[in-house]
Amino acid sequence: MRARAYPTWLTFGALALYAVFIVLPGVLGIGYSFTDWSSYSNDLHWVGLDNFSKILSSGSTYLRFILTTVVFTVTTIVFKTAIGLALALLLTRGVRRLSHLYRAIIFLPAVLPILVISLIFRSVLNPATGLLNETLRAIGLGGLAQHWLTDPSIALWSVIAVDTWRGVGYITVILIAGLLAIPVEYYEAAAIDGATGWHAFRNITLPLLVPVLLVTTVLNLLYGLKVFDIVFVLTNGGPGRATDTVYTAVFDDFSKGRYGIATALSTLLFLVMIVLGYLTIRVMGRDDEG
Amino acid sequence: MLKRTVRSALLGTALGVVVVGTTSLIATAQSPASGVTLTVMASQEWIKPAEQDLGKKFEEQTGIHVDYQILPADQYFNVLKTKLNAGEATDIFGGQTGKSDLKLQYDVANNAVDLTGEEWTTRIDPAALDQSSLDGKVYGAEIWDIIGSNYFVTVYNKDIFQQLGISVPKTFDEFAAACTTIKAAGITPIYEPISDGWHQVLWFPFAGPSFEQAEPGLADKLNANTATFAGDANMTTAMTQINQLYQSGCFGDNALSDAYADTDKAMASGKFAMTVSPLSRPVSIEHDFPNVKASSFGFFPIPIFDNQLQPVHPAGPAKFIYSKSPHVDQAKQYLDFLMQPDNLQYLLDNTPDFSTLPFTGVKSKWDDAQTAFLDTYPAKTLVYQDVVNYLNPQWIDLGKDMVSMFTGSMTPADVMASIDQRRTDMAKAANDPAWP
Repeated sequence: MRARAYPTWLTFGALALYAVFIVLPGVLGIGYSFTDWSSYSNDLHWVGLDNFSKILSSGSTYLRFILTTVVFTVTTIVFKTAIGLALALLLTRGVRRLSHLYRAIIFLPAVLPILVISLIFRSVLNPATGLLNETLRAIGLGGLAQHWLTDPSIALWSVIAVDTWRGVGYITVILIAGLLAIPVEYYEAAAIDGATGWHAFRNITLPLLVPVLLVTTVLNLLYGLKVFDIVFVLTNGGPGRATDTVYTAVFDDFSKGRYGIATALSTLLFLVMIVLGYLTIRVMGRDDEG
Repeated sequence: MLKRTVRSALLGTALGVVVVGTTSLIATAQSPASGVTLTVMASQEWIKPAEQDLGKKFEEQTGIHVDYQILPADQYFNVLKTKLNAGEATDIFGGQTGKSDLKLQYDVANNAVDLTGEEWTTRIDPAALDQSSLDGKVYGAEIWDIIGSNYFVTVYNKDIFQQLGISVPKTFDEFAAACTTIKAAGITPIYEPISDGWHQVLWFPFAGPSFEQAEPGLADKLNANTATFAGDANMTTAMTQINQLYQSGCFGDNALSDAYADTDKAMASGKFAMTVSPLSRPVSIEHDFPNVKASSFGFFPIPIFDNQLQPVHPAGPAKFIYSKSPHVDQAKQYLDFLMQPDNLQYLLDNTPDFSTLPFTGVKSKWDDAQTAFLDTYPAKTLVYQDVVNYLNPQWIDLGKDMVSMFTGSMTPADVMASIDQRRTDMAKAANDPAWP
């Protein structure tokens, strides 16, 4: 074990702040999830697992919101990672000229406020007057024009596409850093041994990039499960409730004063994130020890 | 190392103080002379440009700046209730009046300032005052045209009807047949702006007087919890008819994305034959598109469930003063200013959507078509959302259910059951004795 640079008591201040502002509200929230707390009444009653059974009972609309959240999360992880990796490879191994400019352009959506992006895309995806459908019609592909945000079978995919566009630059930058950390000598040795580009990618790049991919996956996972703003502005959960996610449902319940069920929903998501976070740290920790 | 850390921390703190201090200075520099800025939060369409003009005049006279926060209609109630629940509402907030809204949506007894005894309460229409009051106390200032802007009717393009030989429909079947004829002529029968989340709901409760005519005492039974929406054949028929209009393409291809704010433009274009809108719509169209005359539009009641009755609707957007506002006196001063007779007349004269205001002493501006409609369909019964408890507070939810119905994930019967479920939840939470 390495000697500590600082005495333990130096952490007490940070721990106290963390406990008061992060842990305590979390624990209180979990406590409230077992009550019928609402804005309609000043009384608070213990209802046991009623809120959770309401959420998890078959036929509950909440199950649909959970499913939508899972679909959103898994899909955006796959898209952002695949596209991010392709762009990162292109900008480190392919394009040499102006690669920094391209990186900046790809990263740009990540620094724009989500609200602005969502409002722009609401306009772009308008079926009658939006830029996308107008362009499709102008080039003779009017048959591909869709009701991007109002057709229940397409709306979620439109939200996923916009979110991927927004988030892929961030993932690309992290992956570029990971790729640049891989020593060039490995590729030179492999080339001397006659390895093709695909072999080099599969046997050198991918294995050495796993820790970075794990980080991006965790980031995408936590973001995906907590997604709110982009859905809220793009579709407000619509059409109907086709794109409602766990957090838009939490917001909806909270705004209607149904605090008990809202905290139960947050608690469920909190537990899922704790479990996934713990598993990820264990996996990463094992790699470090190795 | 430790010294360096401490030094960094001190530097960071100092920088923080400088930033905070500078921000405060900027904030102070931007404040008006009186140092008070009143924030008014409202849904789209609730704050008219003429009111903002009056706000500037108010600032000139008092030094109190009025800052308007206008939110999209489909998000407004969520944001407002979140702010109220978090104890962070604006000085003045907009809200729909009506007893159950006042009690359940806004909890006015705790969140709003009692305005009983203010001078303007003696000049406002008693029906509007009643909808803004709860347990004998006045909470809302309903500066709103409760006839011209509240009587939602079917506005139709007379020229299109005449060219296609269509007469004003008296039943739903005649209405549906008219839609088919119009659609066949390449014109979209109805402009239905669903994207705002609330407009499509209007079709249902405005047929309320006909539900009541078919089954006298239904509203009382619903309030006494001895009747439900689910299983009621008449109301289910009405919801089925609304769905039929959507499914048959009467609302056009783009209804789910169409916006209420574009109604004037849509109707002026001649590409739409009808829309459900307030009586003031044609005047508003002529104001925005002078080439299109108000007289080229006519009115008839919303014909769902063969409805031929026009309901009274005294509830509407009102202003409430937030009880925790540090500027209650200034907010009262602002409301008092807005409701001075001269200012009410200015608001009325400069707002195309308004034909009258519910105050004594203001001069209304009805045109011939509006007068003819009001004479033909004298409004007597209250609109259903004003008489059936727990209906208006679930307006946006009902709107979402209706969109689910349009897109196939709910049936009209599901929508009815969903209304009952939400009514039960609200009634139980409010300890309503009818829901033991």
